[in-house]
Amino acid sequence: MHIAMLCSSAYSETGCAVASRLAQLGYIPVGALTLRSWDSGTLLRKLGQWGLRDSVGYAVAKLRPAKTSACKAIRNPHLKAALRHERGAFRNLREVGAAYKFPVVTCANQNSRRAIAQMKQWSPDLAIFTGGNILRRKLLEVPRLGVLNAHLALLPEIRGMSSPEWSLLCGVPLGVTIHFIDSGIDTGPILLRREFAGASDYESLEDLRNRMIAEGVELIAEAVCGLERGTISPVAQNDREKDNQFFVMHERLKVAASRRLEQRRLSLAGACAESVSLGGYGGGNG
Amino acid sequence: MTSTFMGSRAIRAFKEAACLLRAPQRVLPLVSRLASDRRRTTFEYRHLYSYSSTTIPRSDALQSVIAWILAAQRRDGGIAAYYSLLTGYSESYPEVTGYIIPTLYDVARLSQDSCLLQIAERATQWLLALQMPSGAFPAGLHRSHGEPDVIAQPSVFNTGQILQGLVRAHAETGETQILRQAVAAGDWLAAIQQSDGSWSGPAAYQGVAHTYYSMVAWALAQLAAVSNSSRHAVAADKNIVWEIAHFKPSGWIDGINLHEHPAYLHFIAYAIQGVLECGIARRRDDAIEAAAKSAWVLLQKFEIHKRLLGSYEADFKAGRRFSCLTGNAQMSCVWLRLFEVTRDLRYLNAALKMNEMLKQSIALKGGRGIAGGVAGSFPIWGPYQPMRFISWGCKFLADALMLEQRLTREFEESFDEKTSNKIEAAQCT
Repeated sequence: MHIAMLCSSAYSETGCAVASRLAQLGYIPVGALTLRSWDSGTLLRKLGQWGLRDSVGYAVAKLRPAKTSACKAIRNPHLKAALRHERGAFRNLREVGAAYKFPVVTCANQNSRRAIAQMKQWSPDLAIFTGGNILRRKLLEVPRLGVLNAHLALLPEIRGMSSPEWSLLCGVPLGVTIHFIDSGIDTGPILLRREFAGASDYESLEDLRNRMIAEGVELIAEAVCGLERGTISPVAQNDREKDNQFFVMHERLKVAASRRLEQRRLSLAGACAESVSLGGYGGGNG
Repeated sequence: MTSTFMGSRAIRAFKEAACLLRAPQRVLPLVSRLASDRRRTTFEYRHLYSYSSTTIPRSDALQSVIAWILAAQRRDGGIAAYYSLLTGYSESYPEVTGYIIPTLYDVARLSQDSCLLQIAERATQWLLALQMPSGAFPAGLHRSHGEPDVIAQPSVFNTGQILQGLVRAHAETGETQILRQAVAAGDWLAAIQQSDGSWSGPAAYQGVAHTYYSMVAWALAQLAAVSNSSRHAVAADKNIVWEIAHFKPSGWIDGINLHEHPAYLHFIAYAIQGVLECGIARRRDDAIEAAAKSAWVLLQKFEIHKRLLGSYEADFKAGRRFSCLTGNAQMSCVWLRLFEVTRDLRYLNAALKMNEMLKQSIALKGGRGIAGGVAGSFPIWGPYQPMRFISWGCKFLADALMLEQRLTREFEESFDEKTSNKIEAAQCT
């Protein structure tokens, strides 16, 4: 199966992890299309938002090679397995591309004519989206099967942004959904939908998100295998019109979500302790 | 018509600019503000409201806007409509003075400041003296320096807005005279209401019916709760039925009806706020649903584009790229009230962001009339109340900040209670 990657930046860890994981399974991408890390618009915006000192500091942090070993430089520790290779760990898509011999092309906009022409040239069966622009119909129509996305919540309950946090606040089970992208926001047909049981030792919302991203990488790999073997097929969302869209969460609500996570952690730990003690009692009786 | 309008705007702008010759001390603040807004529109336009980076505490912002309102109280007891960077303070404005009264009482309660009570009472007394024999209140700014040739015209909208203040003043003071005059105002509004529930004719702005007069219906609903008069309740309900018929499936509200002006967000938000509040007061789900639909459309626009436009065209299809700050503050109030009614956290989330952004738009430092002021437009030269800091902008921002404070506290307390109960239950197991 010919797979193309659509990533927000060549430095996207999730993009690297998906490309690397698929390559490990034998699905070497035909190419990766990424957005430019820096352009004049971003530069001006950051300058206005952060001021000169912070903007320069951010640029230096991005461009300077990390002094630590490559593995330690990985921000999401749960992606280590997917990013690992014989000489360390991939830090950007170009390294993955060089290792598995696929091109990495940079564009200003994934919907641009140039980007669409590039995608048509690759002629992929499937594209995998790990970040970037809101994709328009013209681009979505290029891959034969469609464009896959890993959404960090159960669909159709929680669509949109800050989805793990909203799941916590709304009392919806945590989960990851692999779905095809269509013209709506997270309204496309679902391939895989899995509740995220995970361990009970999340340290923070960031940790939870990192674990879910790693779970998403594995589910994408599973979905690609399933699609090729014909063991899974997309199921349309029946309440596509229902307004389940959520938006970026304000910091104040994130604090509440964090408290809910803590409560969940404690209740899971309590449930584990309970099952251990019940198991011991049952064993004694038997 | 348009060229005449543009001409009259240009003449007014020229006249206002000429005032700088008499008050050269205003030149520096004017240039400074123009430069500041130019810098922000150049560097931060796409992220004008970068809410994640605000450093202004809510209490400081609230204190500043309230200080602006207090400084805007004129000798007669009324509140000025605006402070212009070109011409200084305006005369007292009866309409705004009326609906600032509830805000003053709310802040007084919050801050335990008896001085604010006195200011609210002075404002009330001034308004009571302005009431016309018919029960109506006059249109426009108050000409305290005497312009004998100008005959005061009764105004539906001003009467409604002032009625809000009178009802609250009566609730706070218990004075029967205030209630008597409030009832007279309500009776007048009910008497001149059209059979379809709208208000048009000479006492309506530009002589035609407007959907943003739902604010008048809200005032009547408030009055009905204390006057126990079915007349006021019926008038409020009649108007709400007329209003709801103007809410389109797209969320757009027909009948803003402002000739020579676009539909500024301020007026759209008025229409939504009036219908919502009247719906809550009269326990009408149809009104709450209609308001929620429009509010949700604007919430989506705000979340996706990180801002609301200053004015919109029919069906929210397009609009003008500037910010109507007072409209933004009103929408924040609407979203907060919808959160209170529906417990949908997305409304609270949007309002928190909007308030962060609005806090960034006010100058905490600066001269009288500038510090704590909410500009009509961002940038300051935008078409809605250009070069002015407006008292109703401060009023709505103060309302939004106080609502945020109350609702976030309630949410966090109830959330903490539920969470700690669950944690205790988990630990017990």
